[in-house]
Amino acid sequence: MATRRLPHYRHLLLGAFAVFGAFYVIAPLAIVVLNSFSSVAYSVFPPEGFSPRWYINLFDQEAFYLAALRSVILALAATAVAMIVGTMAAYSIVRYRRRWADLAKAALLSPIVLPNIVLGVAVFMFFIRIGMYGTYFSLVATHVVVVLPFVTAVLTAALANYDWTLQEAAMDLGAGPVRTFFRITMPQISISMVVSALFAFVTSFDQVETTLFLVRAGDNTLPIEMFLYLQKWQDPTIAALSSVLIAFALMIVAVLSIFLRNKELPANLLRQDKETSS
Amino acid sequence: MAEPAKAPVKPAKEPLRRRAVPWLLIAPAFLVMAYAFVLPMLVFFRYSVYTFERGKLIDEFSLATYAEFLTDPYFHTIIFDTVRMAAITTVCSALIGYPLAYALWRVNSPSLKRWLGLIIFSPILVSVVVRSYGWTVLLADQGPINWFLQTVLVFPEPIKLVFNLTGVVISLTHVFLPFVVFPIFSTMTRLDPTLREAAMDLGAGWWTTFRRVTFPLTLPGLVAGMQICFTLALGAFVTPSLLGGGRVLVLPLQIYTATADINWPLAAVGGIVLLALAMVTVLISNRLLRYSEV
Repeated sequence: MATRRLPHYRHLLLGAFAVFGAFYVIAPLAIVVLNSFSSVAYSVFPPEGFSPRWYINLFDQEAFYLAALRSVILALAATAVAMIVGTMAAYSIVRYRRRWADLAKAALLSPIVLPNIVLGVAVFMFFIRIGMYGTYFSLVATHVVVVLPFVTAVLTAALANYDWTLQEAAMDLGAGPVRTFFRITMPQISISMVVSALFAFVTSFDQVETTLFLVRAGDNTLPIEMFLYLQKWQDPTIAALSSVLIAFALMIVAVLSIFLRNKELPANLLRQDKETSS
Repeated sequence: MAEPAKAPVKPAKEPLRRRAVPWLLIAPAFLVMAYAFVLPMLVFFRYSVYTFERGKLIDEFSLATYAEFLTDPYFHTIIFDTVRMAAITTVCSALIGYPLAYALWRVNSPSLKRWLGLIIFSPILVSVVVRSYGWTVLLADQGPINWFLQTVLVFPEPIKLVFNLTGVVISLTHVFLPFVVFPIFSTMTRLDPTLREAAMDLGAGWWTTFRRVTFPLTLPGLVAGMQICFTLALGAFVTPSLLGGGRVLVLPLQIYTATADINWPLAAVGGIVLLALAMVTVLISNRLLRYSEV
């Protein structure tokens, strides 16, 4: 067999497909950024001219600021609650291995099958019935339910791979259970915790289907505000706002890739979740 | 709470305080689930057996709303369109996702691999609203794609790509692509490389190796990815409402409209039909996964 050869047509084909795939993935985001600098209110290609007017317009729209602030606070609250509650549940399931552990895990993962819009309508009806509609408590609880299955799946997988003798060693050396968890166990599953917290934050921040039913007209979160704006207007103000959000996403990617640079991502992050739904 | 003396950690009978710990740890999760999932679903099911007549809710048990939903051709069209949209999206995602996962797996240079991975997976961080908006601009009559078709390929007039099913499918495929690539890629990385080498050494060409070894062994990942894609596409709301232009009427939009019209029984029945479709999908794909693992 020849040891050196020119790239085979197959590899060229695969390379070309990868380029096409990357282009397909990036195109709608790139066009949004390009469109945000357009000088005209309608979108036309090639652009007729460039101006920063949509960014200036965006900075005058107080509704978007407030909505963004509400979204960040809501996503932080939902992530914090889901991480605490989810870690406790995953710890309980993996550490104690009671007879009900598999059942409990299946129950905690069950909302995965439920389309979010169905959950949204269901909580809307329920909260109106019991007079808890429009409360922050209800909104956060709903977001927690949306992200909890993912958090639980990732953390049970991480804890299942964790070497529990480390925990026993720490306890034997006299550390209490809480201290052992924070000093020994948590650093070992930190990557999974960061990944699931990030996913929870992003999911909650971008949540439309459930939030749409739960917020009153004046309390919209950012994606709702954008969704409703887009149904009325299509001018590039929304492109400017989208570009700002894309910039934030790029920042998260940059921070994350620095953080995870020397760490191997666990390939079985989502495996548990498939196994349990079977 | 009598626990049998078979608990693996401490065989001796533990004091009640110790035995309560696992329950106490898992209780908050179940409380949140009860408040914002179980009880709401019970109420939801209850509304589905009520009826709504002349703007009034009649809270007596009746299957009339189900009967209406399952016999009216209008709702048949909605159910059919929902399944068709999800099916086309799933096929497109698989056709693009599988080769993309394969490319990501086969790339030799680590930095190229990281960049390709970042490009494929980072759109998850961008809101679906933003991405759907991007597609409305990209696919518009005066957008870049029609500009390319008309200027470079000399099409006589713009092709209608947006505010119809085509636009919705293109955009949904984009939104769900990472969820399809991820499970396929992760089964590929778990594939034992010696299997491919053995096949090659025994004289199988690339195509035979792929057809007889690589593809069958990565099929579980593909099935899992397609299942995720199909269930997510069934429940897609933002993209059909922004890119459908009112012409793509799917179950999530019907549920939203019925809720806005305070016809809660109709919304509940629509939601239950949607849930049933999602559950059937999961059951079928689990059956397929079981076969493929043998």
